Amino acid sequence: MAWNAESSDEELMLHYRDGDAGAFEALYARHKGGLYRYLLRQCRNAAAAEELFQDVWMNLIRARAGYTVQAKFSTFLYRVAHNRLVDHYRRSNQATVVSLEDEDGEAIADPPDERERPQDETLDAKRQAGRLMELISELPETQREAFLLQLEGGMSVEEIAQATGVSRETAKSRLRYAMSKLKRGMLEWR
Amino acid sequence: MALNEHGTGAANGGAERDPRLERLYREAAREAPPAHLDAAILAAARREVGSRPRSLASALRRWHVPVSVAAVVVVSVTLVILVRDEEMAERPMQPEIRADISSAEKAAAPQTPPTPGEATSETVRSRPAAAVPRRQELRDDVRASAALGKGEDSSRAESGPAPSLGVGVVATPEPAAKPLPEPFRGASPGLAEERAAPASADTVVTGRLESAPAAPNELRSARPAADAAPGRLMAQSRAAKGAEQDRPPVWKGFEKEPPEKWLARIEELRRQGRAGEAEEMLSEFKRRFPEHPQVTGPR
Repeated sequence: MAWNAESSDEELMLHYRDGDAGAFEALYARHKGGLYRYLLRQCRNAAAAEELFQDVWMNLIRARAGYTVQAKFSTFLYRVAHNRLVDHYRRSNQATVVSLEDEDGEAIADPPDERERPQDETLDAKRQAGRLMELISELPETQREAFLLQLEGGMSVEEIAQATGVSRETAKSRLRYAMSKLKRGMLEWR
Repeated sequence: MALNEHGTGAANGGAERDPRLERLYREAAREAPPAHLDAAILAAARREVGSRPRSLASALRRWHVPVSVAAVVVVSVTLVILVRDEEMAERPMQPEIRADISSAEKAAAPQTPPTPGEATSETVRSRPAAAVPRRQELRDDVRASAALGKGEDSSRAESGPAPSLGVGVVATPEPAAKPLPEPFRGASPGLAEERAAPASADTVVTGRLESAPAAPNELRSARPAADAAPGRLMAQSRAAKGAEQDRPPVWKGFEKEPPEKWLARIEELRRQGRAGEAEEMLSEFKRRFPEHPQVTGPR
């Protein structure tokens, strides 16, 4: 049974497990960008992101023989990446700041000061994008992770919860506050 | 604060989404891993596939469906061949005839010999229904037997070609539906003697029946319904005898002749070495002239 461009991630991984290197190439092409950007935004360091990126894929390659479909492939992939990130934080003594106030949504970072922006300035899309990236980088780790998993991994709240090892409500809360901050931060740029 | 009021949360398990933000992010986020990283990872993936033998579990998972299908096909074909071989092995023993004879024996065993007066058509028709499926075959027997008696008048047809008629009548139970034609209903007391006399193909069957203990001659016409099976055997044998069976009776033309002419003809046949025909004619002579002093005469 051959795979094609419409085969699911899980089918491709099963083909790779059974010895089809071409299936892995297709799978890699689908997820390399999203995974790389997820790691890059979380590490904020290109070299570390590349190292983690390679590590995640190598783990996947080594685990291919025992692969069985137990969850969505992207959830599996980003869970591996999440675990590698946690290891990375530990090694680099970078504390993951998780503010309960952030989770509650009351102590959200202040929106940009509108007085710093000229009212009549017309920002093009590039500048808007730059501003969005800036806001994303200012998000707490967990909220940023939830946001990136949603956009880069295409994951639902449940899948985000699985990948990060938290409850659905926690994942949903993180995602909600991340979006809230980003929207408020972008409000004056609209 | 109503965080979901501007989002599309329902489509994402309650989490809000902002299409404008997402579009903006996708336009901005275009970073990709460097090419050398791609090459290294893909090379490692290929190396992993090429260098390591596929695990046994993986191979089994891949082949278990076709192997299962092949196993089912092999078992099915083997069973079919075995069953066919068994059938072929039993065929030379003529299972139909064997089954017929055994069923006839089973049917005959529990039967108590009726008195001569009971050997009526009513008795005959009250036979077990086990022989009903054989009715058509037995009718064929009757027709074949009737053909043997062709040329005789109706009075002779009543006691006609006795063996076949006897078997036919017995083995053709008509359960209160359609009475048999009158000539086939009963069997005369002399019928058994006639059947015993000629050395025909019926010998196989009648011989076995006559070996039954103390069975009155009259009752032979009331043989069990299951005797239909030997009837079929008789029909087959009769067909083999062919022309001999179809010949007219040896006494043809002597019906109106006096006893002396009959005796003279019998003697003539004996001289010619045609002992069978002489016996046949003698039997008929005895039946026709039971009071003649020569009935117990020279043999």
